[in-house]
Amino acid sequence: MRKEIILIAMLVAAPASAQLPFLSKRAGPPAVVQNPIELLRADFAAQSGGTTVYFAVGSAQLTPQARTVLTGQAAWLRQHPEVGVRIEGHGDPTDTRDHALALGAERAAEARDYLLLLGIPSAQVTTMTWGKERPGPPSAFTNIVEVLGSAPVTTGA
Amino acid sequence: MTIKALPAALLLASAAIGTAALAQEPAPAATVIAIPPMTSPDSGTKGNEMLAIAWQATQLIETDLRQTAELMPLKPDRKDYYSYPEVTAPSFSKWRDRGAKALITGFVQSRSDGRYTIGCYVYDVDKGRELAREGFVITPADLRRAAHKCSGLAYKAITGSPGMFDARIAYVAETGSAAARVKRIAIMDSDGFDHSYVTAGGTTVLTPRLSPKAGRLAYVGFEAGMPQIRLVDLSTGAQHPLLPGVMTFAPRYSPDGSKMLFSMMLGANSDIYVIGAEGGMPQRLTTSPAIDTDASYSPDGSRIVFESDRSGRQQLYVMDSNGSNQRRLSFGAAAYSAPEWSPDGKLIAFTWRVGDTRRIGIMNADGSGEKLLTAGPADEAPSWAASSRELVFQRTDASGRPGIYRVSLDGSAPRKMTIPQDGSDPDWSANMD
Repeated sequence: MRKEIILIAMLVAAPASAQLPFLSKRAGPPAVVQNPIELLRADFAAQSGGTTVYFAVGSAQLTPQARTVLTGQAAWLRQHPEVGVRIEGHGDPTDTRDHALALGAERAAEARDYLLLLGIPSAQVTTMTWGKERPGPPSAFTNIVEVLGSAPVTTGA
Repeated sequence: MTIKALPAALLLASAAIGTAALAQEPAPAATVIAIPPMTSPDSGTKGNEMLAIAWQATQLIETDLRQTAELMPLKPDRKDYYSYPEVTAPSFSKWRDRGAKALITGFVQSRSDGRYTIGCYVYDVDKGRELAREGFVITPADLRRAAHKCSGLAYKAITGSPGMFDARIAYVAETGSAAARVKRIAIMDSDGFDHSYVTAGGTTVLTPRLSPKAGRLAYVGFEAGMPQIRLVDLSTGAQHPLLPGVMTFAPRYSPDGSKMLFSMMLGANSDIYVIGAEGGMPQRLTTSPAIDTDASYSPDGSRIVFESDRSGRQQLYVMDSNGSNQRRLSFGAAAYSAPEWSPDGKLIAFTWRVGDTRRIGIMNADGSGEKLLTAGPADEAPSWAASSRELVFQRTDASGRPGIYRVSLDGSAPRKMTIPQDGSDPDWSANMD
C-alpha cells in the first residue's frame, strides 16, 4: 500500500471565491487571478505532474518519484506566487491513531521542506496532518471544505 | 457533585466487623452474590416511597455487578424482602442454600431535609460475617451514584480491587459514511447511562482523555485546520486550545490532574512534552528525531511509559518523569503502541500490531510477562478501568464500523458496550471521588 499527501491549491484573489470557507486572501498587491478555483487546481495538477506524493509504508522519506512531483509543483508555484497551498499529510489506516497523526505531519513537513529548498517562500506553503482520518486518496475537495468548516487557513503575508 | 461517606458510627451497629477480602487471587469462576431488595426503617406512605427508591438502588447494584467478570449476582426478588433489623442480622443459611458466597444488604431512610440516608453492607455468607459497610447522605438526584458506590464497596470487598462503577467513559461517537464521518466527543457513566455529547460534530475530533476525577476533558480537534489539543471544563462546557498555532495531540493527564503529557510537532519531529493541566510553558521530555508519542504516567507520577519508533518500529519505552533514564521496555517482533499504565501500577496495556492485525495486550511494568487479551483483527486504544482488572478498547468490525468493548484480564471474551452509535478512542476515568 502506498501513502500519499495531497497538495491543495487555494485561490485567494476573487472576492466571489472567498465564500469558500477554507480560502483566505493573501495580502499584498491586488491579485489578478480570474480563474475559478477548480480551473486553477486543474492547472496545478496538470502542469506540476500531480497533487499527490506517495511514501513507502511507515516512512516519511521522500522517494525519487516524490521529488519529481514536488519539483513540478515548485515550478508551478513559482509562476503563481499569489496562490497559497496547504499540504495535508496522511498516515496508514491500520496504524494507531497518534502515530498516524505524527507520521502524516512528518510527511507533510518533509514535502514542505523540499519545496522551500527549491526556493518557494515559506509563507506560500502550510502543512497539517489528518493521521488516519479520511484515509485513501482524498479526491473530493468538498469533504475538506466540510471538515474544516470556517477554519481560517493562513497563506502568509 | 460529591458524595461523602458517613462516619461508620452513624451506621447500624453490627456484631462482627471485618474488612478482609474473600479472596486475594482472582477466582476461576465468578463469585455468586445475593442482592435481596434493600429495605427502609420508615413506615407508612414515606416507608412505601423509600422502599420504591430502595428497589431502584437494588436493581442498579445488580446491573453494575452483572457487568463484571468476577461477580455473578442472583436476580433480586421482591419476595426476599427483609426487615430493617435484618440489615445487620441477615439469614446466612437462606443464602448459603441458594449458592451465594456473598450478600449485600442495605436500607434507604428519608431525612427531614428531603435527602436520603443510604446504608450498604457486604457479607461473607459462608463465614457469616461482615466484610464492609458504607453509608451516604444524598440528594434524590444522586441515587445512581450512591448505588454505584455500594457496588464498588462489594466489588472491593470481594476482589480486593477498587470498583469502576462510579467512573465515566469518554469516547468518540461516530456516524455517517466512511468518506464523510461525523465524529463527536461523548461521555457516559461506566454503565452507559447519563450519556451526553461534548462537541457538536462540525469538526473532526479524536482521543478524548478525562481528568482523574472526570471533571475536565482534553481532546484533539481539527477546527484550527490542524490537530490541536482542546481543554473542556465539563461543568461549564467552556473550551480553549492548550497551545494555539501548533500541532498537538495525544493528551494525557497526570494521576493528580495537575499536569498533562502531550505530543507536539516541531517541524518534522514529534516529541513528548509536559505542561500544566490548563496550559503554560511546555517542557520537552524527549528529543529523538523519531516519532515519540502516546505518553502515560505511572500512578505515582514518577515514571512515564511511551511509544517510539526510534528503533525502526514502534516499541514501548519508559523514562523518569523529567525525561531522563529512557530505556526500552518491549522487544517483540510486533509493533507496540498506545501504552497506558494501570491504576495499580503493575501492568501496562498496549496495542500490538503485526501487518494489518491489531490486538490488545498487557505486560508487567518491567516489560516481562507479555500477554495478548484479544484476537483482533482490528483492536486498538486500550484504557484501564479503575480496578486495574479490566480494559475498555476500540474494535472495528468486518464492515469497518468501530465499537467500544470491555475485556477482563481473566481471559473471558470481550463484551460490546451499548452506545447510541459507533464509537472509537474510549477513555475510562478513575472513580469520581
